Amino acid sequence: MLFSSITFLYYFLPVVLLLYFLMPFRYKNMVLLIASLIFYAWGEPVYCILMLLSILQGYFIGLRIEGTADSRKAKVLMASSIVISLSILGFFKYFDFFIANVNKVTHLSLPFLRIALPMGISFYTFHIMSYTIDVYRGKVKAEKDILAFMTYAMLFPQLVAGPIVRYADIAKQLHEREHSLSQCYLGSRRFVAGLAKKVLLANSFGVLCTKFQDSSDKSVLFYWIYAIAYTLQIYYDFSGYSDMAIGLGKIFGFQFIENFNYPYISKSITEFWRRWHISLSSWFRDYVYIPLGGNRVSKFKHIRNILIVWMLTGFWHGAAWNFILWGLYFAILLILEKYCFPKWTEKGNAVLSHIYVMVLVIISFVLFNADSLSQAGSDIGSMFGLSDIPFVSTQALYYLSSYGVLLLVGITGSTPLFKVLYEKFAEKGKGAFLFVILEPVVLCSLLLVITGYLVDGSFNPFLYFRF
Amino acid sequence: MKEKLKYRIGIAALAITLFTGSAINCLKPQAEFSDSERRQLKKHPEWSFGSFLDNTYGDKFEDAAMDQFPFRDEFRRIKSYTLYDLFWEKDNNGIYIEDGYAAKLDYPLKEESVQNALTSFRYIYDTYLLGGSSKIYTCIVPDKGYYLAKQNGYPAMDYEKLYSKMKDGMDYSGFIDIRNMLSIKDYYKTDTHWRQEDLGQTAKKIGEKMGIGDSLSGNYTVNTSKLPFYGVYYGQSALPLKSETIKYLTNDIIDSCKVYNYETGKTTGVYELNKLSGKDPYEMFLSGAAPLLTIENPKAIENKELIVFRDSFGSSLIPLLIEGYSKITVVDIRYVKSSILKDYIDFDNRDVLFLYSTLLLNDSYSLK
Repeated sequence: MLFSSITFLYYFLPVVLLLYFLMPFRYKNMVLLIASLIFYAWGEPVYCILMLLSILQGYFIGLRIEGTADSRKAKVLMASSIVISLSILGFFKYFDFFIANVNKVTHLSLPFLRIALPMGISFYTFHIMSYTIDVYRGKVKAEKDILAFMTYAMLFPQLVAGPIVRYADIAKQLHEREHSLSQCYLGSRRFVAGLAKKVLLANSFGVLCTKFQDSSDKSVLFYWIYAIAYTLQIYYDFSGYSDMAIGLGKIFGFQFIENFNYPYISKSITEFWRRWHISLSSWFRDYVYIPLGGNRVSKFKHIRNILIVWMLTGFWHGAAWNFILWGLYFAILLILEKYCFPKWTEKGNAVLSHIYVMVLVIISFVLFNADSLSQAGSDIGSMFGLSDIPFVSTQALYYLSSYGVLLLVGITGSTPLFKVLYEKFAEKGKGAFLFVILEPVVLCSLLLVITGYLVDGSFNPFLYFRF
Repeated sequence: MKEKLKYRIGIAALAITLFTGSAINCLKPQAEFSDSERRQLKKHPEWSFGSFLDNTYGDKFEDAAMDQFPFRDEFRRIKSYTLYDLFWEKDNNGIYIEDGYAAKLDYPLKEESVQNALTSFRYIYDTYLLGGSSKIYTCIVPDKGYYLAKQNGYPAMDYEKLYSKMKDGMDYSGFIDIRNMLSIKDYYKTDTHWRQEDLGQTAKKIGEKMGIGDSLSGNYTVNTSKLPFYGVYYGQSALPLKSETIKYLTNDIIDSCKVYNYETGKTTGVYELNKLSGKDPYEMFLSGAAPLLTIENPKAIENKELIVFRDSFGSSLIPLLIEGYSKITVVDIRYVKSSILKDYIDFDNRDVLFLYSTLLLNDSYSLK
């Protein structure tokens, strides 16, 4: 089920909210668990079993790890849980990629599985892996209450597209959490804001990207419009989803990790990755990069560590070479920033640094969205006039004028400008009293406009559902 | 204090919006048809374990939830206003408004589709007309985009190429170009079609090219329907465009003609006025979509017949040609297979006119 659907907004959510707040605390996890099962089964009924198996192995192995005094046995148990999790992920997500490459190299015709990727598998696998590793490391106590553990692993706000919430962060909240008027309001506000980002902005940019892909009147300008639109689409799509997840979590009394912090204002790629998909990059940092030695090793090993982590980050996003290349592209940029021009990225001209980051990020997302490496090469080449297309075309001009305002809103909205203005007028300024009425009116109006967009059945996929 | 008040008002407002929407959704009886969109609405699917497991139930439920949403048209209108007035987007669902005329973005030229149409027409020529004594003509009706799109900065199909391809591909027929006879004012503002009351001169030109120009009097009485007309783009644009009026032309000959519909077996007049109050009032012209019709002119001086292969644009033009013929057979090969036409039509020594719009030629895969 999608957050941005009529089914979720006007059928599922009201019922869940009603039941959740009517039930006494001891039943609240049960309500969330059942709701999460329905939420997942609505889109992937068969894969519910797979998810449950994955969760149960994490739960039982976690208990065994804690229950054993033998550190070697604990290590084996932890490793076995990781192997199980990665085997499931590898089988469902990477098997066909592996076969395709074997076929290519050996000229064999091994059959493909051609099975649909289970929704959210990359996210819940990482939830469970972080849990068993943390139990092994003694960072958290193993969860004895199976209901609480399943609620953690399946919590519908963050189940299918993150943020990757670690058990350690919400272990306490699973057993005791506060529900307050302020939490409920702030959560609702965050949810509506995320929904607006997704439905009004990301989907509209998605339509523009589709128009570009369907067009036979391409030009250099049109390639850049597409590249910028996709860069905005993926940001609003994913950060919108994270906002909705964090907002829903807040309503139910949970505090989830922030996942985005205005990544497009970064002045270096290093800073960009501190602001983009924070829960994923911190996961790889804590569970791959640091165990490999992090930066406290020789220069050669440090570079190796960066390459491994970013290749895995790319591969996590999808079973295709362009994702791996996308990860390595960032690895190389990070290495260059670290070892070749560290001062320039720290003290360089702010405008130039910002342009440098955005151009490289835009190119990276063209690579990210390509169906193949050859298409990525062709798209990026066309952006720089390296193909036989004109600089401007009628369609490019039309879509630039038609989507101009939306692109401006999208670009401005990816900076903290609106937040700063809001804080100035609504929280500290004289307009604070006005906002007592204005803010709820704006939120309700947004919800109605979003409903209008949804009812009209426009373009509505979540990009991160395929990861 | 102020914050607490804001929280209370905010939660109350959002809860009322969400729960009211939810309650109306659950209680509202399901609608069958959307008048504005002119289509059947999807209804909530019956639950079955099989449909749940194969993942079709959820998709169908969401489709129905969107279609059955209370105040659907009003919500679609909110979206249109947001798109046009807030984000200044130029089209909504591919419909744009220029000078008060709603039109569809129809680009690029789909050459495969044009070729598909040419193949269909060639089949008719090879099967029924080749070697016969029929005089064959082709007339392509420009859609509104021809007069509206390029001039106002909207992407447009390559009309010149389309006309050239059709002319070259139908070298067995005389080509009648009517583009200079028309302007955007000859079309409805809210609909795809042209206005019959403006087609007198166009019909005359076609008639002259077909050798019946002298028979067409050009004298018509203009009749105006009192019912408001909202065209197909009214619903698609979801904007409150003004209603229009349908006008239709009559004279003694048109009034005396009888139209036989092979599909329904009914005989009617040229205009079915009761359809003016139906879901698509434009269907009043020659009964709307019909695979095969004949129009008999009892006042014809000579026995001369015409066969017209057409789309919906033909419905309002063909009545204006009847003065030149004793009988016109009207064929829509979107609804009848070309291969069975010999069972119904005698092609020998008849005039034949292929009358198709650019809209259909650019999306011709419904031709059978």
